[in-house]
Amino acid sequence: MGKLSPSLRSAKLPLPFLKPAPSPSPPPPAPPPSPSLPLSQSSSPPKPSVFFRSPLKKPKKPAKTPRGTLNPSPPPPQQHVFRSPLLSDAISTFDALVASSPSSLDPTSLLQSFCNAGASPADALSFLRHISPSLGPGRATFHVLLGHSCLHPSAPDPAAVLDLMSDNGSPPVAASADLAVRALCSADRLDDACVLLRDRLASTADRFTYNFLVRRFARFRPISTVYSLIKELRRAGLQPDLVTYTNLIDAVCRGRNLREATRLLGKLADAGFKPDCYLYNVIMKGYCMVDQCGEVMEVYNRMKDEGIEPDLVTYNTLVYGLSKAGMITQAKKFLDVMADMGHFPDVVTYTSLMCGMCRKGDAVGALKLLGEMEEKGCTPNECTYNTLVMGLCKAKCLDKGIQLYQEMIAKAMKLDNATYATFVRALCRANKIAEAYEVFDYAIDSKSLTDVTAYMALENSLKWLNKAKV
Amino acid sequence: MVVGQQARKAMLGECPKKVARLIDLVNLPSNLREFAGGQSQMAHLGFFIRVWSHIKTHNLQDPNNKNLVNCDDKLKSILLGKTQVELSKLPMLINLHFPKPSK
Repeated sequence: MGKLSPSLRSAKLPLPFLKPAPSPSPPPPAPPPSPSLPLSQSSSPPKPSVFFRSPLKKPKKPAKTPRGTLNPSPPPPQQHVFRSPLLSDAISTFDALVASSPSSLDPTSLLQSFCNAGASPADALSFLRHISPSLGPGRATFHVLLGHSCLHPSAPDPAAVLDLMSDNGSPPVAASADLAVRALCSADRLDDACVLLRDRLASTADRFTYNFLVRRFARFRPISTVYSLIKELRRAGLQPDLVTYTNLIDAVCRGRNLREATRLLGKLADAGFKPDCYLYNVIMKGYCMVDQCGEVMEVYNRMKDEGIEPDLVTYNTLVYGLSKAGMITQAKKFLDVMADMGHFPDVVTYTSLMCGMCRKGDAVGALKLLGEMEEKGCTPNECTYNTLVMGLCKAKCLDKGIQLYQEMIAKAMKLDNATYATFVRALCRANKIAEAYEVFDYAIDSKSLTDVTAYMALENSLKWLNKAKV
Repeated sequence: MVVGQQARKAMLGECPKKVARLIDLVNLPSNLREFAGGQSQMAHLGFFIRVWSHIKTHNLQDPNNKNLVNCDDKLKSILLGKTQVELSKLPMLINLHFPKPSK
């Protein structure tokens, strides 16, 4: 319960980590970046997606449309033409293909297939040079190469590809910049991305690319680095906008740096931006992060004064903050308010509220809320169950907790760490050792916890029990 | 980040030495080797899970009181020759075979 809105964990990432290269075949395997991919994915929690839902979803559209039109769907048989990552093999295969059916060949899918076979960026470049005279590559073809060489950590500067694009009459557009920056970021080459954007693409990149890069920087680097990045990019002609500031404020709030957030707010006002709904959401979340949850109400009032329409995220944050601050009655009131405004409470809202109630010790009330929620057609998720089981165990309603736990098993849901420990302790205290062992088994089988964590909690509970007995 | 922090805390919250003691392979004393299926090395945690799954597969829990285990011969050989042990004492009994390394 001591965590920030567990239910938010189920939210999806706002963006596919890497945009697919402009071809219908799967993105190049690029072996080296793959270890970094899960890492960055896990370290970027889904939380912001809830708060940033709209401003960040936007970038996809403008970037994708031009590329989609550039890229005619190639005939399927070409997709797995090349099996070997060797340049010589690819060239001989290609020559044979040209000899047999020169008209049906599409340079984009050919190159994509070669990249998928695991070719190095240098080989891919040579291959493109080889096929260019006979096929005439378009911008989409270069995008494949660009994405491939950005994903490869050892690849030379992707600027070479950009040069090649300009020389061949299809200079980089905003989509190219976006592709390059995103690919570099997902290969953990943030600095390269920054240099590339500053030196080569400042004039073509749009603000979506810019904001994406700033956001990644703000997440993984200290804030001073982000400021120098902004300064450099400002010199290159890219100005921060409201989304940039929202991202920055979010990042400093994550670091619990309230003073910096306040300073940024002042700066934002100086720059002539008017806070929008998303910014207010971030501010509200910031207050929750620094444990001044009572302030959310004030932010909400200010929002209303400014005439800004709150959205679902606003209400969810509000309910979460109020619940965390222990103002359950007020939080409950907002369930009706939000429904009146056309935003129906969702699983996140209910879970936040339940979490607050459990923290106050009113687990039975939270259980009632579960019934109410299901009545309204809102399905509880893993976090809801975890919150409730933990709350019930703490409120000494073990039987109901066990019932809910059975439901969790039936739905193959995972236990989280705190819930598991609390539940096992409660079971041991009630002398249901065998059941505690079963929970231990379930936690390991369902891969909720590592076996070490699970065993340690079990052992601690038993140790405590034996001490109490003596 | 918050979720990440929590995950990290969960990982680091446990003393790394304790974790190591649980998962590092150690040389088993000769009386445990037979139970471990002839292996000469096993981790503390692996051994515990093996004992527990042995109890489950052979239905050794007392039908009247699930918290008690009626030991079969194999179990007796590793649990100090007791005929019946409490499930709650199981980790401690196994700990006896994996003493803390003296400093």
